[in-house]
Amino acid sequence: MAEITEPIARQAAPGAKRIKQQCPFVKAGVEYIDYKDVETLKRYLNDQGKLFPRRLTGVSAKFQRQLTLAVKRARLVALLPYVANDVK
Amino acid sequence: MPAPNGMYELMYILNPVLNAEQTKDIVARVSTYITENGGEIVEVVEMGSQRLAYPLEKKRNGYYVNVFFRAPGAFIARFDRALRINEDVLRHLILRYDAKMERHYERVRTGEGVKPIPAPTIVEETEG
Repeated sequence: MAEITEPIARQAAPGAKRIKQQCPFVKAGVEYIDYKDVETLKRYLNDQGKLFPRRLTGVSAKFQRQLTLAVKRARLVALLPYVANDVK
Repeated sequence: MPAPNGMYELMYILNPVLNAEQTKDIVARVSTYITENGGEIVEVVEMGSQRLAYPLEKKRNGYYVNVFFRAPGAFIARFDRALRINEDVLRHLILRYDAKMERHYERVRTGEGVKPIPAPTIVEETEG
């Protein structure tokens, strides 16, 4: 018998709950993410001011792209920091 | 037939050192510049003095102004340059509006159908 060296695609443990998330923007029926809406944008940033990955927030690809653009615009006009909590 | 004027949004940050009168003067001049060049002002929103997220030209605060206007496309490049040259404007951003953004703007302005702010549920990463 051949030895299995490659990891097999992992199966979820029986009874394990799969956390299924829906994109918060799709859910709310948002059409456009405004760069001026700093309060909303801030929720998607960690304390270093970096954008959370989709894998953690459940944002859809479409809105993640919009979100990225909005954050970059907000940074340009100093509404959001490029670097926050700058610890050396 | 000339193309219809596009909708634009301009945000600029003025030097906070200027006094109220000088600030008012510049805001008025920006508006006049748009109208003199075949544009029309839709709305001017003065967001006032705000703390900057990071210093610009050694200043910690800035006076934010938002202008919504319609103007011919050829004017935008000149306008952008004029703002860049003006030393009282610390930073500016001009955006061309598409249909989605215009609809969003209308909704915000009329206060109708403004969607509640969606909050993300951040799933903590587990060690794999």
